[in-house]
Amino acid sequence: MNPNENKSSASGSSEVDASLRVPLLALFGGAAVWLVVGLVLGLIAGIKFHAPEFLSACPLLTYGRVAPAANDAVLYGFCIPAGLGVMLWVLARLSRMPLVLPMVPVVAANLWNLGVLIGTGGILIGESTGQPWLEYPRAAAVILFAAFLLIAVSAAGTFGWRRERSLYPSHWFLFAALLWFPWIYATANLLLNTVWLPRGVVQPVIGWWFANNLIFVWLALVGIGSAFYFLPKISGRPLVSSGYALFAFLSLVFFGAWCGIPASAPVPAWLPTASVFAALLTIVPIVAIAIITVKTVWGARVSCQGGPFCFIKLGVLCFVVSGLMYVAAACPQASRVLEFTWFGVAQTQLQLLGFFAMIVFGAAYEILPKIMGAQLPFPKLAKLHFFATLLGVLLFIIPLALAGVAQGRALANPAIAFADASHAGLMFLRVSTTGQLLILVGALCFALNIFVMTMKWKLALLKSLVAAVKAPLPEAPAPGDSEVKA
Amino acid sequence: MIDDSKKDCCPGSDTEPTVTRSAAPMWIIVVTLVLLFFGALFFDSHGDLGGKQIYTPFTSAEQLDSFQPKSGADAALARGKTVYDSVCGICHGVDGAGKPGQAPTLVDSEWVVTKNFNRLAHIPLVGVNGPIQVKGKDWSMSMAAMGASLSDDDLAAVLTYIRGSWGNKAGAVTGDDIKKIRAEMGKTSQPYTGEQLKAMAE
Amino acid sequence: MKNGIAIFIAAIVALGASWCGLVLAPSLQLGPARLTTVLNSTDTYPLQRTGEASLGLQVYRANGCAACHTEQVRQDGIAVEVMLTSLGTSKAEDFKAFVQSLFILPELAPVTNTIADSLQAWNGDLPKIFLVTGDKAIADEMVQRVNAAGVKSQLRIAPSGPDLARGWGTRRSVAADFLYDQPVQLGSLRAGPDLANIGIRQPDANWQMLHLYAPKSVVPNSTMPSFKYLFAVRKMAGAAPSPDALALSGEFAPPAGFEVVPTAAARELAAYLLSLNANVPLYEAPFTPVTSAKP
Repeated sequence: MNPNENKSSASGSSEVDASLRVPLLALFGGAAVWLVVGLVLGLIAGIKFHAPEFLSACPLLTYGRVAPAANDAVLYGFCIPAGLGVMLWVLARLSRMPLVLPMVPVVAANLWNLGVLIGTGGILIGESTGQPWLEYPRAAAVILFAAFLLIAVSAAGTFGWRRERSLYPSHWFLFAALLWFPWIYATANLLLNTVWLPRGVVQPVIGWWFANNLIFVWLALVGIGSAFYFLPKISGRPLVSSGYALFAFLSLVFFGAWCGIPASAPVPAWLPTASVFAALLTIVPIVAIAIITVKTVWGARVSCQGGPFCFIKLGVLCFVVSGLMYVAAACPQASRVLEFTWFGVAQTQLQLLGFFAMIVFGAAYEILPKIMGAQLPFPKLAKLHFFATLLGVLLFIIPLALAGVAQGRALANPAIAFADASHAGLMFLRVSTTGQLLILVGALCFALNIFVMTMKWKLALLKSLVAAVKAPLPEAPAPGDSEVKA
Repeated sequence: MIDDSKKDCCPGSDTEPTVTRSAAPMWIIVVTLVLLFFGALFFDSHGDLGGKQIYTPFTSAEQLDSFQPKSGADAALARGKTVYDSVCGICHGVDGAGKPGQAPTLVDSEWVVTKNFNRLAHIPLVGVNGPIQVKGKDWSMSMAAMGASLSDDDLAAVLTYIRGSWGNKAGAVTGDDIKKIRAEMGKTSQPYTGEQLKAMAE
Repeated sequence: MKNGIAIFIAAIVALGASWCGLVLAPSLQLGPARLTTVLNSTDTYPLQRTGEASLGLQVYRANGCAACHTEQVRQDGIAVEVMLTSLGTSKAEDFKAFVQSLFILPELAPVTNTIADSLQAWNGDLPKIFLVTGDKAIADEMVQRVNAAGVKSQLRIAPSGPDLARGWGTRRSVAADFLYDQPVQLGSLRAGPDLANIGIRQPDANWQMLHLYAPKSVVPNSTMPSFKYLFAVRKMAGAAPSPDALALSGEFAPPAGFEVVPTAAARELAAYLLSLNANVPLYEAPFTPVTSAKP
């Protein structure tokens, strides 16, 4: 226990952790399941790329449905709820108090799973909205929005009534994320998923704004906010420094929000130019975050050995790489070649699976033993998870990016027939499917750990319940005895 | 909470993290300002915020305007305007309204806005000696044969231009029409009088 | 920052600014879009889709075709070409000599080399594009001087870019092209070719349906999956196949006595693909339409 804590009003960490047990098991459990589902769907989509007739007879599994379903399952099914779980724990710990309204996130987690289920099913049966990253039909979108608001209430309450009043850098990132998602999700769905659908090319502009703000800015806010909590905590060194982190936060929210419009979009030139301008400026927060991370962990005497610390460091590294990939691809000379190729897909997948998923895994492995009060049931699987995911991300992203470059260069040369251009990247795509398989193996390890942990806890609860029911009642003294004896 | 004295303390002890209290280094702020400056320059040169929709590769409304392909009719009008401004506009005004004491107006003039262009074409080919009445006003002056040295196409373009500008809505004239009229005219060299023009078929 | 309000305000300002710039401003500029007119014509653009084609857009959306196909053509540059269409009474050599004589003019100095190169190996065939430049003023000047010398030449506005060179379109895609699309399916990956003008490249509905049923039957090394579930294999009602049956052969043909007929979804999708046609010049994306080569 930190002797500096104000013992009379702040809670002990074990009390804080205990309040988060059920909400986080609900959030992480659902997220782990959806991660496996999303990665399986993604694997099917990946295989269809070099074996187009794989499962082609089934309309539910046609590439055009399975690929968006996979992407959305990973983003909405895993990334957002798991990120919210980490956020709740970090906020509660920083506030030195148990979670406010702990049952509300549990209800929200179940609602969220229902929403993702309806959404994924909707896409597979052909009810997708057709807007990239926003394919969930209206019913699912409403449910997800409501579930998010519920979690936001709990998180905002924990933040607002915090007992430790001073703010830590993670607070800025995480609290901003609480505002960011409802605004962008509501705007995008109200404009793109209802009768207020605008005419023409305004639709994809809003779609790009939404996708960038969710996948780049929101995931960065939650992921980096969590990394700035865990890196100093695990390494035992202080975060370097509050001014630097403030600069990184402000530059991320002000510049990052304007990226997203591709260079060749059929919109007036000022829109893609504004995004290129913003992409150029986004180098600043990316570099700042990299420097902060390096300064904080450099020389730390903690070795990670495939544990949470490794995950989080790797996650921040992937953030920097994917951010720089985005900036490089946004430059007009590069975008001429790289646009509409696998390079963009590689960059997004690196953001989702390389950066955010890694941060979540690391945070989850750090949090779970604490909230359950027990070690992970399969610590070796957790290590396997790390190495499988590391190798998987390398094998998935790097060949995919190279496939994109090969495809782009071939497409930019009009003398090369299209069929030859699309075959240029096929060999790389085969390698990247093996990467997907490895990432899936890692995710299965993660899901297994959580599942067994949950089962053990539920069994222990059940046992103690049964024991309490079976225990003999204490003997009550008969009312008349004492008087007779006296 | 923000505690500089705790450095490298007890990793694994589950204490809350701390943060050092210092500002962002100056160099990154300078880099940001430099990027803002160059980015703004880039935006200025590539993104036109005007009302018109300007798409890449165009960078300004003027450039987009200049790249519009002219149809045949537009080319003739453009040519007609060029010739008019340099030859006729000196006296008749660039706006066709004429100048008192110099030349009558061409706007809504009964000599210009006619169904046929035969009579009109004769005027610049040979010239006019006043008096001649234009829109109720008497003009007692002479016009030289300003169109005699123009090619068929150029004269046709000028006549098309004046017949279609400033609210005039009369039909175009082609170079072949002028060629025919010149052939019929033969070697007439005397300017027409107002009476002769009035008697001519339109 | 010291308290929650400050974070809240920073986030609102940042997101609000980007909302104004990327949601509000485009809605104001492009939202009230209405029909526009084709350049140098009174035709309006775009054409409203027929019933079957607009149902086809929903089939396109439901099957996620935009996951592999884009519907937007890019353009890298805009050039002006001067095309010689008729020599009149002059000979090719005279024309070359005349053009050489113009090289002393200072305003034509930037393009003397390109003109000399293009005329060097010219054997007199018409039409001949002898100047390609980005400077409209120089091209205008060239056309006037050359026309005044008695030949006929024409100024052509020619957009350029790899997409255009592949024959995927004659100009870039602009906002007007998507006016009637609900939803707009721009696509973001070119695993398959761009479809913005597929209605011009492959105007035959039968080809489109054959391609959907068995892509490899019409494009031998295609990586597109087959969409057999948009079709029905049924027993032939009689000796001859019915008129809508697909003309399949070889390994793609159904077993003897059976025929493959498209369902309504396949027909609608084919109608939609045939309606994808954007090759008209507009004010914001001008080009000179190719007319007959005869001067």
